[in-house]
Amino acid sequence: MKLEAHNITKNFNSDSHNLQALGGVDLQVEAGDFVCLVGPSGCGKSTFLRIVAGLESPDGGQILFDGRPVTETGPERIMVFQEGALFPWLTVQDNVEFGLKMAGVPREQRSKIAKRYLDMMQLSKFAGYYTYQLSTGMKQRVAIARALVLDPDVLLMDEPFAALDEQTRNLLLVEMQLVWEKTKKTILFVTHNVEEAAVLGTKIAVFGSRPSVIKKEIANNLPRPRAGGDESLVPLKNMITAALRDPGVQN
Amino acid sequence: MKYLPHRILFYAGILIVWQLVFMAGVWPSNVFPSPYEVVEDIAYGITDGGLFYGIATSMWRLLVGLGIAITGGVILGVLMARVEVVNQTVGSLVLGLQSIPSIAWVPLAILWYGLSDAGIIFVVAIGAIFAVTINTYTGVKNIDPHYIEAARNMGARGMQLVFGVLLPAAFPYMIAGFKQGWAFAWRGVIGAELLFAFLGLGHLLYAARSLTDVSYVIAIMLVIMGIGLAVDGIVFKRVEHKVMSRWGLR
Repeated sequence: MKLEAHNITKNFNSDSHNLQALGGVDLQVEAGDFVCLVGPSGCGKSTFLRIVAGLESPDGGQILFDGRPVTETGPERIMVFQEGALFPWLTVQDNVEFGLKMAGVPREQRSKIAKRYLDMMQLSKFAGYYTYQLSTGMKQRVAIARALVLDPDVLLMDEPFAALDEQTRNLLLVEMQLVWEKTKKTILFVTHNVEEAAVLGTKIAVFGSRPSVIKKEIANNLPRPRAGGDESLVPLKNMITAALRDPGVQN
Repeated sequence: MKYLPHRILFYAGILIVWQLVFMAGVWPSNVFPSPYEVVEDIAYGITDGGLFYGIATSMWRLLVGLGIAITGGVILGVLMARVEVVNQTVGSLVLGLQSIPSIAWVPLAILWYGLSDAGIIFVVAIGAIFAVTINTYTGVKNIDPHYIEAARNMGARGMQLVFGVLLPAAFPYMIAGFKQGWAFAWRGVIGAELLFAFLGLGHLLYAARSLTDVSYVIAIMLVIMGIGLAVDGIVFKRVEHKVMSRWGLR
């Protein structure tokens, strides 16, 4: 698996003004990378993720997935939305099985695969619940399980923990690392939270603001499991914060 | 049911006033019957079977007509919401046709279908279809775009998207459309039967009027009201409540 973004540009045009959201984003992602895209709110990092997912098309440049240009959305690049986007008319079990059902996987096999990821995300007890019966943190677990069952080559996560309270978020930061280690997934993770990026990423790509480009890439080889409050993360967090603030890096 | 006692008192009050007016003898009893006579007529209609036969006939026509309206209305509504050219063309016509009361279709229905079940079913269906269409359209338009994106991302295409996401996501609105459609259909079937004079509750009403049987006219009106209340309050209320809470709208 190899994912490349070449000079991605995107404009949002309306009658009153034209806004260049992405000003030529370049990024290389190797199999097994956990890349965190950090940047201020509204810098276009989510738009970039949506382009990688094939939910939006760029105005310039292209995304290459194993050397082939991405033109459409598909289950090899699964998105986990900020609000989860779980289907309220389905139970947790059926939500998790949704993609498999679309792919025509027979029922028995579906529930076997779903069970593995429900267990992994500690959701087994809630398989029969509807989404209105779940907390926000629980919903995000379901959304992650729903993405993992499809065994995507890349997992695209769009600020999935932004709406969570501190405690739940810390818990999910730990779990996300375990999931990544267990499944060896390649992950692109968008966040505006420096700490999240430092805890999760093997590589941190710092976005500038409009028109945004990736200002700096920082490798992160600190030992895992990492947690939000770790002393060892402090220099890295300072480095990310400095890169976010530094106007000189902007080209 | 905090207000159940109030409600019982209210209806008891109506009955008492009705009985008092009757006993005062302001109008002759063949013009203003007593509550007892009306109840007697309902009981007679039940034992005689005529009332059941009328209800069954009307209900059968209504269900076929409403079934057509729901099927057609949902298809039209989804198309209007997803294909802009359909919305701009068919959609504008739907808004116009919706303003025609279903009873106004009766002359056309008689000319096209004669005095037949098909004519009445036509009136029911055409009276209900646009309410279903418009509500389905609104429902599909209001779907959180993330649902559709997530489904497409997970591989849903074409009909999978329609049945897997669009319809269930729009269902809370569609239910409101079915409820409105039912109300129009119920009014439509009774109205059409009155004018077609061809079996059903509406026809019983017409026949009772011909015989100047005021108490039977009132009896049938009460039955029509009762069925309307029962379907609204039992069937739709329950479904609506369940859907709303599951979809997290309550």
